[in-house]
Amino acid sequence: MDEYNIMLAGVGGTGVLTAAVILGEAAVKQGENVRVGEIHGMAQRGGVINCTVRIGDKIYGPTIPDGKGHLLLAFELVEGLRAINSVSPQGVAILSTYRIVPVMVSLGKATYPSKEEIISDVKKFVSKVITIDCLKIAEKAGNPLTMNVAMLGVASGAGYIPLKQEILRETIEELVPKKYVDVNLKAFDLGVEEGRKTSEE
Amino acid sequence: MGLEYLIKDSPGEIVLFLGNEAIARGAIEAGVGVVSTYPGTPSSEIADSLSWASPKVGFYMEYSTNEKVAMEVAGAAAMCGVRSLVCMKHVGLNVASDAFMSLVNTGVDGGMIVVSADDPMAWSSQNEQDNRFYAWMSGAPMLEPSSPQEAKEMVLRGFDLSEKLNEPVLLRTTTRISHTRGNVKLGPMRKPVTKGTFEKDPSRFVLVPANFRVRRLIVLDKIREAKKISEETDLNFVEGEAEIGIITSGVSYNYVKEALDLLNVEASILKLGMTNPLPEEKICDFLREHKPVFIVEELEQYLETRVRAIANREVPEAKVMGKSEGLFPSYYEFSTRRVVEGLSKALKKEPSVKYSELDKKVGDVAKKLPPRPPVLCPGCPHRATFYEIKKVTKGKAIYPSDIGCYTLGIQFPFNVADTCLCMGSSVGVSCGISTVSDQPIVAVIGDSTFFHAGIPPLIDAVYNQHKFTLVVLDNETTAMTGHQPHPGTGVKGTGSPGNKVKIEDVARGCGVKYVKVVDPFNVEEALEAIKGAVEFPGPAVVVARRICILLEIREKRRKGIEIVPYVVDPEKCTGCKTCINKLGCPAIYWDADEEKAVIEPTICVDCGVCAQICPVEAISRRK
Repeated sequence: MDEYNIMLAGVGGTGVLTAAVILGEAAVKQGENVRVGEIHGMAQRGGVINCTVRIGDKIYGPTIPDGKGHLLLAFELVEGLRAINSVSPQGVAILSTYRIVPVMVSLGKATYPSKEEIISDVKKFVSKVITIDCLKIAEKAGNPLTMNVAMLGVASGAGYIPLKQEILRETIEELVPKKYVDVNLKAFDLGVEEGRKTSEE
Repeated sequence: MGLEYLIKDSPGEIVLFLGNEAIARGAIEAGVGVVSTYPGTPSSEIADSLSWASPKVGFYMEYSTNEKVAMEVAGAAAMCGVRSLVCMKHVGLNVASDAFMSLVNTGVDGGMIVVSADDPMAWSSQNEQDNRFYAWMSGAPMLEPSSPQEAKEMVLRGFDLSEKLNEPVLLRTTTRISHTRGNVKLGPMRKPVTKGTFEKDPSRFVLVPANFRVRRLIVLDKIREAKKISEETDLNFVEGEAEIGIITSGVSYNYVKEALDLLNVEASILKLGMTNPLPEEKICDFLREHKPVFIVEELEQYLETRVRAIANREVPEAKVMGKSEGLFPSYYEFSTRRVVEGLSKALKKEPSVKYSELDKKVGDVAKKLPPRPPVLCPGCPHRATFYEIKKVTKGKAIYPSDIGCYTLGIQFPFNVADTCLCMGSSVGVSCGISTVSDQPIVAVIGDSTFFHAGIPPLIDAVYNQHKFTLVVLDNETTAMTGHQPHPGTGVKGTGSPGNKVKIEDVARGCGVKYVKVVDPFNVEEALEAIKGAVEFPGPAVVVARRICILLEIREKRRKGIEIVPYVVDPEKCTGCKTCINKLGCPAIYWDADEEKAVIEPTICVDCGVCAQICPVEAISRRK
């Protein structure tokens, strides 16, 4: 497969790493060469988390060279803007409207930009921006913790994940704890539906 | 995730492994008999995977008290002829270095792999030291993988090499190898051999000066033998035919491959998998056949210094370029971009991405980004303890801190971390400050860190009569590295029950006369115990014991216990911001329009500390 680089950006605890591993495992299942880049350690919750998934015959390193990303998945709104250097001008950004207000903002030491401002800034870097309320999809599926899988569904439904949907579903089934399989698959399917709508627009 | 592949007997199958899981699988394929470690990012998943696999495969695994003990356990097993693997983070090898240096001199009989997982960029460390120099300093052979697949292969090759030379082999990874997932092809698994015999040989194992002097010459012979292996091994190979040459190793190899592709430049690559001893003749040939030769390596000029020395001696006409010419930096981790920039400068080639334009554009939007440093988790018991320490001391004490999640006490609103050097240092530093200053001192240390390196300095405090308070932040696990057990948990590395060592008993045994155990979520009780400690005329210990919130949540979810978030009653909230300013909890944010505190229900985990400190009792558990 030709090189395809996905940047997954979010906040610790929002399932970014799980989403990256799902993509990585699915890529191996599909017979692709893949690298998943991740950072562990320090406090587990509340900090910036960026993971990368790189698929293709000619990829070696885990990190996406600046400006070479094809797809940016932001699991938290402003984190999409923070990771924007990784995406190419031809790339696509899918932003979840879910917001986690950093402690620094609550303490009055920083401000959280408005949704409109973030979207318009992200637009300066990519060819297309999709915004989506992943929390709403996850809640509709039955568990807010499935926001990450809903996002994968949206990206897949919109046609921006070069992996077969049935392989993605199969991987989700294998990777999430048994009692959460159904709710995750539901979140994925609902995400796919939403994603399809965006590509029809 | 996917751990069952670690022990799956299906040679040829391709699976997705984290670099660290690949190392674990390599050890299992090699029939490892003994595994020891002290957890530390980015090494932790190696031993965690092996902890999971140990009872299923039948080898011995332990979380040792610290890296030095781990090195001695694995080293002694290898002295008895059993294959052993010990893994740690780069700074862990500092702790274990005393034993490591000597093990190279005694040599081993069973194969022994010492994994040093370095952390360029110090993602989760106090520094980014380059441990390749430990190989050079000790004489131990060193292997450096570039991918998860290679990491697994090098464990297998490392065991063979170790047994051939009777020397421990250093396997040096970096964060971007240990924490990268990639395709890994499974190989056959050898049955573990877990029993050996200690064959007495004092001339070898008792390093008194006279014996050392004999061993020293033997080690030098082994280094010469290892050098021959380094010349011949296919781990050191040349790729491509071009005038330009590049010498590289480890993760940098990946960046070189991608950078050449991006710049559309042809170059030959001498890829070094065995980087101690270096294949000097191979390097000489490469220097003769290529001009210029770039040295591309992360962190220090380990290869560059040595290659330049070889060039000066053997190939004076060679043109070596690297960090000395300012092409590549010696700090932080490498990237494809860094290699592109260095090579494009030297070769006068324009990269396809205009980095300066991109940086400017990114810089313009970056100004708007609210900082989001790592924070203590919502519901973290340390948050309560920090609040209590600060309240008792009114923020006016000196607060030596230590290595763990709680180093985040450095942040506003706590500001209870004034020093942090290394494991156990909060206690030793307190001893030193109390010697020369009358400022009050309240030090913190984690439970696992206390066992690791906090006990000798606590004995020093009792013996030398240093006066300070030590608060042990006991969350009953090694939290930051992924919840490994330690002596205080009473659970062994294999999951089976061991003997529980109580921190309060240890403190009393060391001679501390004021020892109290409290639950930090019981704010009143904790305040009283800390107050008593601060007023005590000698070293005093308070054990603030409360399980890590992440483990508590995991347990609740497993049992189906509902996690009920707290809510702020907007009628009662006066907007005083006490909860926000005193706790800095990620679940509480400020609604600027309503001028009230709000608790985000998807983040709150039901700890209830904010409800205890709200001056107007506006916070309560959702009904």
